[in-house]
Amino acid sequence: MGRITLHGVTKNFGDTEVIRPLDLEIEDGEFVVFVGPSGCGKSTLLRLIAGLEDVTAGRIEIDGVDATGVPPAKRGLAMVFQSYALYPHMSVRKNIAFPMRMAGLDKAEQNRRIESAAAALNLTDYLDRRPGQLSGGQRQRVAIGRAIVREPAAFLFDEPLSNLDAALRVGMRMEISELHTRLKTTMVYVTHDQVEAMTMADKIVVLQHGVIEQVGSPLDLYREPRNLFVAGFIGSPKMNLMTGEEAERRQAATMGIRPEHITASPTEGLWQGTVGVSEHLGSDTFFHVHLDGRADPVTVRAGGEVSLHHGDMIYLTPDESRIHRFDAQGMRLA
Amino acid sequence: MATKASRSAARVMIAPSVLLLLGWMVIPLALTLYFSVLRYNLLMPGANPFIGVENYTYFLTDPAFTDAIINTLLLVGGVLTITVLGGIGLAILLDQPMWGQGIVRILVIAPFFVMPTVSALVWKNMFMNPVNGLFAHLASALGMQPFDFFAIAPLASIIGIVSWQWLPFATLILLTAMQSLDSEQLEAAEMDGAGPLARFRYIMLPHMARAITVVILIQTIFLLSIFAEILVTTNGGPGTASTNLTFLVYAESLLRFDVGTGSAGGVVAIILANIVAIFLMRMIGKNLDT
Ligand SMILES: Nc1ncnc2c1ncn2[C@@H]1O[C@H](COP(=O)(O)OP(=O)(O)O)[C@@H](O)[C@H]1O
Ligand SMILES: [Mg+2]
Repeated sequence: MGRITLHGVTKNFGDTEVIRPLDLEIEDGEFVVFVGPSGCGKSTLLRLIAGLEDVTAGRIEIDGVDATGVPPAKRGLAMVFQSYALYPHMSVRKNIAFPMRMAGLDKAEQNRRIESAAAALNLTDYLDRRPGQLSGGQRQRVAIGRAIVREPAAFLFDEPLSNLDAALRVGMRMEISELHTRLKTTMVYVTHDQVEAMTMADKIVVLQHGVIEQVGSPLDLYREPRNLFVAGFIGSPKMNLMTGEEAERRQAATMGIRPEHITASPTEGLWQGTVGVSEHLGSDTFFHVHLDGRADPVTVRAGGEVSLHHGDMIYLTPDESRIHRFDAQGMRLA
Repeated sequence: MATKASRSAARVMIAPSVLLLLGWMVIPLALTLYFSVLRYNLLMPGANPFIGVENYTYFLTDPAFTDAIINTLLLVGGVLTITVLGGIGLAILLDQPMWGQGIVRILVIAPFFVMPTVSALVWKNMFMNPVNGLFAHLASALGMQPFDFFAIAPLASIIGIVSWQWLPFATLILLTAMQSLDSEQLEAAEMDGAGPLARFRYIMLPHMARAITVVILIQTIFLLSIFAEILVTTNGGPGTASTNLTFLVYAESLLRFDVGTGSAGGVVAIILANIVAIFLMRMIGKNLDT
């Protein structure tokens, strides 16, 4: 079981309000991702759940029991830190055994769990090494192993992949997702990378300045961002946001259209512009198009092998049904 | 230093300093060795005949020698124990966030800057003096008999003074070690269910192991040759109760003007110091490798 409920949780460091009063429900077995720009309070929120920080106000419940004053070790949660926080003077085996040793588990059970975790995480050959002798990805797995053997009610991850190179990150992302499908344990995962959030989450919590901007499934956030911030944050490349005449014509202060919902044509369309920088990814090509009389370029997705060149004339047509409209306060208009 | 030419150039360049260092070391050592096999007493001028190992047998069979060895070991061991344990404690305390941290840290370091003779004098006259000392006043204020530190517990008193001088050094090194400990490691241990004692035992202590070895090594080198504190306070007495090896060599050669025996003592001290050094290097090597 691992249902975590936050009621009006607030956190101040001195005079700065890092987390504004905040309510959140994390269901048992859910993969929840906290995402937001750096410094928005994601780590703080995670540490509040872990018990490494005290709440300034509010209540945290784990499985329906008030855990606000419960020390971290007694909350039944396991955390994987950004720096991995492995114990450098202990072998991998001892690192993984440490929480069980502290809990006073008997040796046979300890070994059984170590073996099964090592097998699941491809660590069997490295059990007698020190963390210093492992690669970044292996260290990451040891940290996860140390969390698994505790059989926690929920896993907490704080930007676990940010120290890995891009290729490894994709691999570990899959592994963590697979781990979640296999264990079916609640996972709370913090990242500033919206791609990680979109690919892994059952539920995404978008944070900004210690406030929840929106909670929902990845596709909910993609299809119906509640406000301008979420619209700009979720999706890669970013949604094109336009103010002025075009928006007013659609009765909105700001209108947004994603690069993949614009059709480009060399001969006819709604908007006319010239091709600027283009990014060829092979499967897709993104063009930055400078519309006449508009400062910011519009990003457009086209097929992988479209050949358009810098300076070419181009016509764009947005898919009207996919246009997002926002009012002057930046909130979504129905 | 990659090419042959640059290597040999480098050798030529460092040759003068190597020669200087060698002369610096070799000449005094050779002279000491030479004097140690002569009958050479300044009170008996005249010929200084070669007498082989007689000076050594005299020095080594002197009952004061055994006392001096024991005292040296007690002094080094006692000071190391106090400073390392105290240093660990202070380092952990000073690592806590607290008000006036900077000033407190400077205050803790201060004793290290006081010269050994001065600090020994201050302790002897202002604190431990049985009539005028602060401790004596304290004792009489509490209605107790003042304690005559240097008469009753001379070696222990010196251990106290020297520990006071070296505690800052140990604290400073161990504090830097503590500060380099990743706080996420402590938090991870906390989440793993380790209480304060277990965190100290399994995280902090292993993290500080290297720094502790360094403290032990450096302090041992200096503590083997403690001299000023003894000279200022007890003069090695009463009897030989606070005479260490360094002081014994001084007493032989300068109080009794026996250069030969003093030199022999010096050579013995060198050998003993090297034995200790070898042990320490072994220990350090093991600790620094990992
Ligand atoms: N221990 C602390 N003391 C004071 N301010 C803190 C502390 N920890 C975090 N903060 C502040 O709280 C804000 C949120 O930090 P954090 O939760 O780490 O953000 P992120 O979303 O990048 O993980 C930041 O502005 C940071 O400066
Ligand atoms: Mg963070």
